[in-house]
Amino acid sequence: MKLLVCIKQVPDLESRFKPDAAGVWYNETDLAFRMNEYDEYAVEQAVQLREKLGEGTELTVLSIGPDRVVEAIKKALAMGCDNAVHIQDTAVSAKDPWQISSIISTYVQGKGFDLIFTGMQSQDRGSAQVGVTVAEQLGFACTTTIVGFDYADGTVTAKRELEGGIKGVVKLKTPALVTCQLGLNVPRYPTLPNIMKAKRKEITVIPVADLLTADLLATTTSFHPPAKKGGGIVLEGDVGELVDKVIAILKDKTAVLR
Amino acid sequence: MEATRQIYWNIGHGVVIPMYILAFAAVGVMLWGFRQRLPIWRQGKPLDRFDRYDERVKRMITEVFSQVKIYRVTDGGLFHSLFFWSFLLLFAGTMLVMIQADFFTPLLQVNLLSGEFYKAFSLVLDLAGILALLMLAGFFIRRFVIQPKGLEIVKDDYIVLQLLFAILITGFLIEGARMAATELQQNPALALFSPGGLLAGQLFTALTPDALLVTHKILWWLHFVLVLGFFCAIPYTKLRHIFTTSANAFLAPFEAKGSIATINLEDESAVQFGAATISDLSWKDIFDADACTSCKRCQDRCPAHTTDKPLSPMKIVKQIGELAESNPAGSLVETVSQDALWSCTTCRACQDVCPANIEHVNKILEMRRNLTLMEGAFPGDEVRTAVSNIEVNGNPFGLAYAARGDWSDGLPLTVMEQDSDVDILYFVGCYASFDKRNQAVARNFIKVCAAAGVKVGILGKEEKCCGEPVRKLGNEYLYQMTAAENIEVIKAYNVKKIVTTCPHCFNTLARDYKDLGLDIPVEHYSTYINTLLNSEKLTLTPEPFNFTYHDSCYLGRYMDIIEQPRAILSRAGGSITEMDKSRYDSFCCSAGGGRIMAEEKMGSKISEARIRMATETGAPLLVSNCPFCLTMFEDGIKTGGAEEVLRVRDLAEIVAERIAVTQ
Repeated sequence: MKLLVCIKQVPDLESRFKPDAAGVWYNETDLAFRMNEYDEYAVEQAVQLREKLGEGTELTVLSIGPDRVVEAIKKALAMGCDNAVHIQDTAVSAKDPWQISSIISTYVQGKGFDLIFTGMQSQDRGSAQVGVTVAEQLGFACTTTIVGFDYADGTVTAKRELEGGIKGVVKLKTPALVTCQLGLNVPRYPTLPNIMKAKRKEITVIPVADLLTADLLATTTSFHPPAKKGGGIVLEGDVGELVDKVIAILKDKTAVLR
Repeated sequence: MEATRQIYWNIGHGVVIPMYILAFAAVGVMLWGFRQRLPIWRQGKPLDRFDRYDERVKRMITEVFSQVKIYRVTDGGLFHSLFFWSFLLLFAGTMLVMIQADFFTPLLQVNLLSGEFYKAFSLVLDLAGILALLMLAGFFIRRFVIQPKGLEIVKDDYIVLQLLFAILITGFLIEGARMAATELQQNPALALFSPGGLLAGQLFTALTPDALLVTHKILWWLHFVLVLGFFCAIPYTKLRHIFTTSANAFLAPFEAKGSIATINLEDESAVQFGAATISDLSWKDIFDADACTSCKRCQDRCPAHTTDKPLSPMKIVKQIGELAESNPAGSLVETVSQDALWSCTTCRACQDVCPANIEHVNKILEMRRNLTLMEGAFPGDEVRTAVSNIEVNGNPFGLAYAARGDWSDGLPLTVMEQDSDVDILYFVGCYASFDKRNQAVARNFIKVCAAAGVKVGILGKEEKCCGEPVRKLGNEYLYQMTAAENIEVIKAYNVKKIVTTCPHCFNTLARDYKDLGLDIPVEHYSTYINTLLNSEKLTLTPEPFNFTYHDSCYLGRYMDIIEQPRAILSRAGGSITEMDKSRYDSFCCSAGGGRIMAEEKMGSKISEARIRMATETGAPLLVSNCPFCLTMFEDGIKTGGAEEVLRVRDLAEIVAERIAVTQ
């Protein structure tokens, strides 16, 4: 059985985002990158299935992006993926979800993957389209936002999160694709022997040009912070000083003390 | 009549050969008993504890004969030391009798044991015997009547105490019987130099001379057999500590306190990291179990144990010994329990007070390494998050790494990237960089440096967590990764000296980073400021205040920095009221060993216990000089309801407020 898990490397959300020079995406200076949180659930679930099925099952991790994404790939390998595909693309952020899913579909086509795991969405762009579009392009059965997963004899049984806390259970025949949601599992922390083993695992590098066939459908025209609508002030210090400060602000900025 | 006594009186020299044969046999049984322990110890990994032989021998002799580590704790310790010295005198006296009777008399025809020397000899030995008996009585009362909390009563205690008691009593009875037949009648003045025998002799005055001789003979053999039994019992009972605990004074490490083996991560043949089973520990770790006397001093001082957490350092040492003996392939972590392992704050109070030189902390760390590196385990999900934050942003808070230097905006310092020509590199640490309360400490330290004309540089966003908390949780991999990045950055600049405000950063950079190639002098600001004051680069205008001072574990016990912060505070005008647990006996704040990132879910709060000790001094101010301690105490004051009576402040804040204004 062949399993694939697609991951994206995203900036840590605590980072300070600034628009890039063109004003269409964020500037990467001073950003810390990590594996997309939902993709970690996808990797964990894929690795659990890989361990359950044992010999004869192969789990590949795939990521698109510049060289820095190798860090995320290595983490997935250390968590237990067998091998990796790095689709090298220095302009990944300029591509829309349609192009990204087309690249993945083109890669997957004809390779005989039975089951694909992805995160339900990325933490940076958050389109939640790549997984489902890949499934559509490949003609795979698909379900999204799963919080429970089981696989037996060619059938995936997935628990989905629905509106208002309601859960639903779906069964899919492989080939299938699932997108993973928070609550599905607790991603493992790679052990040191596995980190060392991961260093020897194969990472196939493919230039994105080899797989890029689709044109852009949606263009990002602007990336900017929302307009400031005023903000709060947090005052700190001794109570006595705080009172003085509050009175000063009330006098200065409002009419209540006049 | 000359003062002396006839050795082998009533026993005869015919006894010499059988006596020696039996004595050698007993010693043989003893050696055989220890020989049987060898395979158990040898299950551990090799470790060289036989280098620097002379120093080791010297240390062993000093520690054993001075008893300095024993009477440091007077409860129990004083009895032991006095018993040891008196028993030692009795042993030496017996040896002297042996040399006299079997060597000097037959070979040289000289009698040392005569005249004034004999009187002194007799008196000293009798008094030693009486003292030993009194101390034994003390042991009995302490163990069986007072029964201090946590002191276990095991089979060995009955055997050993009764055996020693019987040996001493029969010793006095033989003496008494001999004196009743001889001295008491022929030379009563000499009998006064044997007060114990004089007293015991009264028991025999009613006996007929023949009965007295028979009684004496029986007692002599009884005493002799008991002594043989004593030697035989040594390896099989707690008495083994006579040799194993003494040996541990020889075997104790010479490395700087707090040294942990740096794992070679380049070694691709390694398959096991940390200790999963007995064979992953060193032979010394197993030997330690035999050196443990169950005195429970470690347990009494363990901040986790005394706040009802499932950790006893003594129990862990014992469990390792039991596992080595009964089930060497068994899981250490399961035997000891994860909860016990994660409860340790690595405060080192156990190891510092241990009279047997047992190394508790590194055993726990090796087992934690197994948990972390082999199983990816964490003490809780909050720790998993914090560790992942360190991986991504280089700090446990998960705040943007690029904001690490923001606290310093507008302060008189430079960021090394822009200007690396500085007097000191201030390694700020995560807490002083990101935590509001501790940012105030960093700002005050900069103020102090500026007043002393010291040009300070920081790494800003190039600095990362030093790796100490994750290393103490067992994550050697992440520690070495972050350490390597810090070292590379530091080495790129021409740094003359590094100063930290965090004792954990200080220990790590000064000692642990050496193994990874950083060899630049590192100081904690407590000693740095003290030197600035001594060299008058910095002067203070003292302002009186009352305070109590908390010794951070990683400054006091680990680095012996005890007097310098007190000296600074005294110069600042402070009057100290010490807590009961201070200096080397200080009580941890709860945040060491990576526990700063973990919630304290079991037992009561360690920080509140420490705050209670501080409030008991009556001082309105608690001074600390560690960001972890400061954080825990701010918290403990609030949750422990001490807000009305106690404030906690950092050393740098106290100093900065008293900088003398220069004309």
